Amino acid sequence: MASSPPASSLSVSGKSRSRALQRKAMDRLATVLSWCATFLVVFVLGSILWTLLKNGLPGLTAALFTRSMGAPGQGGGLANAIVGSILQTGLAILLGAPAGLMTGIYLAEYGSHSRLARAVRFVSDMLLSAPSILIGLFIYMALVAPLGHFSGFAGSVALAILAMPIMVRTTEDMLRLVPLSMREAGIALGAPKWRVILFICVRAARGGIITGVLLAIARVAGETAPLLFTSLGNSEWSLDMRRPMASLPVAIYQYAGSAYQDWMQQAWTGALLVTLGVLIINIVVRIGIRGGRT
Amino acid sequence: MNGEAASGTMQAGASGTPQVDEAARPLAIQVRNLDFYYGKTRALHNISLDFPERSVTGMIGPSGCGKSTLLRILNRMYDLYPGQRATGEVLYDGQNILAPGVDLNLLRSRIGMVFQKPTPFPMSIYDNIAFGIRLHERVSRSEMDGRVEDALRRVALWAEVKDRLQASATAMSGGQQQRLCIARTIATRPEIILLDEPTSALDPVSTARIEELLDELKGDFTIAIVTHNMQQAARCADQVAFFYLGELVEVDSTARMFTTPRESRTQDYITGRFG
Amino acid sequence: MDGSTQQPAQPTVAKARHSGSLTGDPLFKALAMATGIGVLLVLGVIIAVMAIGGIPAFKAFGPGFLFSAVWNPVTQHFGAAAPVFGTLASSALGLLIAVPLAFGTAFWLTALAPPALSSVIGMAVQLLAAVPSIIFGMWGFFVLVPPMAHYVQPTARHLFGHIPGLSALVAGAPFGTGLLTAGLILAIMIMPSITAVMRDVFVSMPAVLRESAYGLGATRWEVMRQVVLPWSRQGVVGGIVLGMGRAMGETMAVTFVIGDSNHIGWSLFAPSNTIASLIALEFPESPAGSLKLASLMALGAILMAISFITLWCSRMLLARGEAQAGKR
Repeated sequence: MASSPPASSLSVSGKSRSRALQRKAMDRLATVLSWCATFLVVFVLGSILWTLLKNGLPGLTAALFTRSMGAPGQGGGLANAIVGSILQTGLAILLGAPAGLMTGIYLAEYGSHSRLARAVRFVSDMLLSAPSILIGLFIYMALVAPLGHFSGFAGSVALAILAMPIMVRTTEDMLRLVPLSMREAGIALGAPKWRVILFICVRAARGGIITGVLLAIARVAGETAPLLFTSLGNSEWSLDMRRPMASLPVAIYQYAGSAYQDWMQQAWTGALLVTLGVLIINIVVRIGIRGGRT
Repeated sequence: MNGEAASGTMQAGASGTPQVDEAARPLAIQVRNLDFYYGKTRALHNISLDFPERSVTGMIGPSGCGKSTLLRILNRMYDLYPGQRATGEVLYDGQNILAPGVDLNLLRSRIGMVFQKPTPFPMSIYDNIAFGIRLHERVSRSEMDGRVEDALRRVALWAEVKDRLQASATAMSGGQQQRLCIARTIATRPEIILLDEPTSALDPVSTARIEELLDELKGDFTIAIVTHNMQQAARCADQVAFFYLGELVEVDSTARMFTTPRESRTQDYITGRFG
Repeated sequence: MDGSTQQPAQPTVAKARHSGSLTGDPLFKALAMATGIGVLLVLGVIIAVMAIGGIPAFKAFGPGFLFSAVWNPVTQHFGAAAPVFGTLASSALGLLIAVPLAFGTAFWLTALAPPALSSVIGMAVQLLAAVPSIIFGMWGFFVLVPPMAHYVQPTARHLFGHIPGLSALVAGAPFGTGLLTAGLILAIMIMPSITAVMRDVFVSMPAVLRESAYGLGATRWEVMRQVVLPWSRQGVVGGIVLGMGRAMGETMAVTFVIGDSNHIGWSLFAPSNTIASLIALEFPESPAGSLKLASLMALGAILMAISFITLWCSRMLLARGEAQAGKR
């Protein structure tokens, strides 16, 4: 190396040989450590999946899907929590996705580099990684406390705030990938800009935008913290969004901390269901992205 | 208008010899003393050029000479980009289209444009054509079917796609896509069609088909085509305009332009000494 | 134009065409802009609600709220110091563990892995990021905590317990829950996102630079250490800070394994709490209008401020890194 001082030719060659060995050893060491790090990460993922399967599969019975939650030892299921999760996630996407889509359109097509757009982009990123429990706390103060009761609707709004920034990000990114020539061709036909955006650009970007919706679903479906103070949980069967509503993650949280054997079993099985659902969506999305690119 | 046309073929700083054969036609577009700026950079210098009705005007010149810029002024495409502006006059249908208050969507429905790369929209073949028509007219289902078929027949695409009108347009070959784009443009029944190097991304066979098509279309439309390809200009155009460094050097009938150009710069370019 | 043009180009037809665009465009733009402004408002309202909700706590305890480690519902004394300490300490531990792991994995993914394996493992890492946090909590509680209690802490005590200075780090009863376990879980949770950022900035380096370094005879590690890493420094730091922001706001996973004790101390194995875990656990027992609820809101405001600052830093670093990448 440049820093080694000049010395007699023999000692230099000796030095440089030991230096070469040292460099090679260093490279080996880094390589080995890097393999170890990767192995560890894969091992953890494997361990999580294995734990879930081992503990969760035995509880995967028909009753789980047909019965509502019950007291320990009474053979309850998770049907109301599963339906509650689907309802709340669905409503959250219905609320959050259009708002995110429009904001993404604003950022990509109208605001671009304006000061307002930069502020919106930053705030949207803030919301994307804002602590989700604070969103729950906020909705409690803004919706639950004034209305006087917990509700599935409040839970959906909290989840919508989490889903929206994901849509903003993917919509903007995907619209930016639509070639300029496509916009120009639309404009050249005499189409007003909004029609070009909605019927050509959004359409061209629809694969990516659907990806965003799926990722948003995957993200909010597993959220627990924002639901604790909003939809609260409910052990009864209920489809009324104006009343407290059960959800899978909250049910898992409730059951996992308990000392009852059958509740524990259901917590594991619920955890398995949530994780599988979320992972399957993610795998589909990622394979879809790769397929679309090639 | 005709008298104006005769004197209207003046060029920026060049000799004012009038062109003879094309002067007899009425004019679709007259460009008068046009300057164009990208921000502070001046891209076009005092351009004056006439586009005779129902004929093909070819625009040639080396890259960056301003020929595409001029084309994109004619349908006010530059409006999309802040910082770009044009001064001077572009007269169309008795109106200066550079003036404020022009309904751009209407203008663009009457002056259609076909781009360098085919730009099929991400929808079916049928919807690609119908998209432009629906923008400006309300048509019944059966009339729409007829209009779509008409447009596809005119570009000789009907036979190839009539059984898969609902298939995605993006799955077609490049040449088919470009013909589809031309069909989409003429389906809105414009008066003028602007083509910006429409064959530069296509293979020779597809190029030949497009050139044949232009020859048929000029019976009904006024056509302005920007091209890099000298042979293409010679084959397709009735008059040719040569641009260099943002100036219109020379405009003349195709025959004279390629046999006896008046300007040495034109001579150099068409014989391949630069560009 | 004398109007003698025939079909298909009839000016009269053309003029008769309707053009509904005159109202559509401004309307659509206004709508898009309004939703954008709505996003701004949402964050504004969140911050306002937290701050206003927390005012009674700041009024009751003054600036001492920030420095008091007391959390006593019986005497109605509340202070932020312990959960803030727990939040920062557990996140710092998480980073300490996650960064080397993430760097090693990113190095492996970009320089060492066979291409086919790289994409599969890269996807596995991203899947790890998608696992809901409550699952990490359960896994941590049932899989990680027992060996922490039975092996890790006793071993640590055996090794360091009698060394002055280090003994404080390993003091306490072997519960298995505590700061270090929380740090481990956080490390696993934030590691995928840090890896993703690192991989992206490593890959974005022009291949010429990498190739010319190899051309000089550098080993893979030397290329990484002396060319890639300096080149992508800001992006790497931005990714790390981003991970830190995530760690500080994490709730469910930490709640399971931190042991929930309002306590500031040196021990890595002592039960502790974080802002988020305290809110999750104490909120159900905080009636509306109580001082406890106000204190929780004030803690929320503090957490919001901390994550706002870290996010802002990470964005600045990532943006600067990107600008630099563009320049070179």
